[in-house]
Amino acid sequence: MRAMGKSRVLFGVFGALVVVSAASAGGASTPGVTSKQILIGGTTPLSGPASAYAAVAKGADAYFKYVNDHGGVFGRSIKYKYEDDAYDPSQTIQRTRDLVQNEKVFAIYNTLGTEQNLAVRSYLNQLKVPQLLVASGASTWGNDFKKYPWTIGYQPSYKGEATIYGRYIAKTRPNARIGVLYQNDDYGKELVAGLQRGLGQKAKLIVSKQGYDVTDTDVKSQIARLKSKKANTLMVFATPKFAIQSYSSARLLGWRPLVFVNAVSSASNTMTIAALASSKRQTEGSISIAFNKDPVNPRWKGDKAVTLFRTILKKYNGGQGLTDVYNVYGMSSAFTLVDALKHAGKNPTRASVMRAVTHLDERNNPFVLPGIVIRTTPTDHFPIAQARLERYHNGNWVYFGSIVHIG
Amino acid sequence: MLVGVDWAGVAQQVVAGLSSGGTYATLAVALVLIYRATGVVNFAQGELAMFSTFVAWTLTRHGFAYWPAFLVTVLASFAGGIALERAVIRPVERASVLTIAIVTIGLFFIVNGAAFWIWSPEVKSMPNAFSTRPIRIGGVAFAISDLGIIGVSLLAVLLLWLFFRFTKLGLAMRAAALNPESSRLTGIRVSWTIALGWGLATALGAVAGLMAAPPLGSFDQNFMQPILLYAFAGAVLGGIDSALGAVIGSLALGVFLNLLGTYVSWVGTDLRQAAALAVILGVLLVRPAGLFGKLAVRRV
Repeated sequence: MRAMGKSRVLFGVFGALVVVSAASAGGASTPGVTSKQILIGGTTPLSGPASAYAAVAKGADAYFKYVNDHGGVFGRSIKYKYEDDAYDPSQTIQRTRDLVQNEKVFAIYNTLGTEQNLAVRSYLNQLKVPQLLVASGASTWGNDFKKYPWTIGYQPSYKGEATIYGRYIAKTRPNARIGVLYQNDDYGKELVAGLQRGLGQKAKLIVSKQGYDVTDTDVKSQIARLKSKKANTLMVFATPKFAIQSYSSARLLGWRPLVFVNAVSSASNTMTIAALASSKRQTEGSISIAFNKDPVNPRWKGDKAVTLFRTILKKYNGGQGLTDVYNVYGMSSAFTLVDALKHAGKNPTRASVMRAVTHLDERNNPFVLPGIVIRTTPTDHFPIAQARLERYHNGNWVYFGSIVHIG
Repeated sequence: MLVGVDWAGVAQQVVAGLSSGGTYATLAVALVLIYRATGVVNFAQGELAMFSTFVAWTLTRHGFAYWPAFLVTVLASFAGGIALERAVIRPVERASVLTIAIVTIGLFFIVNGAAFWIWSPEVKSMPNAFSTRPIRIGGVAFAISDLGIIGVSLLAVLLLWLFFRFTKLGLAMRAAALNPESSRLTGIRVSWTIALGWGLATALGAVAGLMAAPPLGSFDQNFMQPILLYAFAGAVLGGIDSALGAVIGSLALGVFLNLLGTYVSWVGTDLRQAAALAVILGVLLVRPAGLFGKLAVRRV
């Protein structure tokens, strides 16, 4: 066991230095790669409070199965073992260790959650196991690549997203009185920091910030507080449940601010519930950003990628999740991984796949909005750094403005 | 804003607190009911209420309007509560209070897991029981639904009081809880009165869930857990054996937590739940019987 571990480590270093010779020598000795299959793994909340996000893994898995039925990658099929961590970081550690040490996966991929990925980042980097396309918007995945070179994120960072809102408000609503509702943890605080950065000199437009805890029953008190500060613009930096409550609580107070709702909660499904729980007038005019195609949005009726998305889910996921944008996210992430594996060479190694994901220039991912290029360089580790602003109108999201860069 | 107190803001927080407190109150009464009938605190009470709410949600998805779904669910929950008692509690009926409490904790996990298994984990939404159109009085906004929720919990207390005070069955249940052995000797079927208590409490829990879920706007399988904590605190504050006390305790707790969270900056949102626990602890230390409860005297 010990000897094997050592040779694996040596191999990683060697591979990083001489990619070509490593690739030719690779094959047999790269964990998880055989002549027929590439085994990857990750964790996802199949049960527990965050299990709505399981679609992220299921969408990706369905896409891999589709790719496998169409020849795989260089003749190898991709097997994606996603295991349940119930959104509990201590379980993420257990499952990930098992995947790496017993299942001998090639890489950890698409593990969901900020805390969950932080919990295994040091471990994976010590062993030089790639931690690919982390499903979390924390900016640390892109910022701290020097310290953790085996880790890379995927989606736009929360901080970058809120920066966009800040800039937009500074430019278009100089008289705004901004009230912020945020989840009282790293995720919410990162959005608040991004908003302040985007507002720049206009940061004093923020009249009140109210936090809530994930364990709170409701956000009535916070919304009432923001209203009493005479805010006319409401930032909702909250997960779907609390975002919906923000709308319904504001309605009960007879308060109709302009709402900016973070991408985590702006899926069409969530907005439909928000409109039911409050009123159509209450959700009208809300602003958010999008980077994936929302399958419910009539804008994408007849779109090739959305049609493909439905076909794949019907065939490989029992027809589940046809209206769920999280499935689209999973497929776009899987598309990028397949793209990277193709660029990692005929005999991929852990080093060569890291090289590939840090040299992405993907213009043809059909599951993201047209015009978005998924690009990385050795010094820019944010794969999706573009999005479009959108406004909720008559029960649908309508894109406006050109593509914005999320820095 | 100047140093002056923003009274409209305070009043709004009080109203928001009463409306939150109203959703704790009905569940608190259900806790009191089982406690009075069996001497046990039912930790699964919140999850049973959640399960009932999901049943009602399913009915509304199949064309039922709110109130018919409400009625069917409450009746089904009554039957379900009795069945559950027969299946799960009966075998440990004569075991210690601790054993039964632990069984209810097990029940908590089973019911929660079952709900995740049966219904997908995405957030759900229910139609509202009462109008949610905002009404304004002197700068304070509230909705009919806020009043409706408090009204329903008070109505539940009234009905229970009438039941326990004026019906033979109610009397039998009180007797069975107070002194099971003597009750048996007088011909009361104690085991069945306990089952009846569970049925009533589960039905009341269904009412609690169905009052709490719609105004939240969205709910999932875990939505009752924080409510259960606050209901405990409310029930303990009011006196765990007094139904009216549980309602008043819950309303007071809702207002207290809101004002504390809003105007005491170091409490903020971080310490709201801790404050609820502090209330439980404080009451148990200073006045174990709560505001309206009677101190239990036991013969040894």
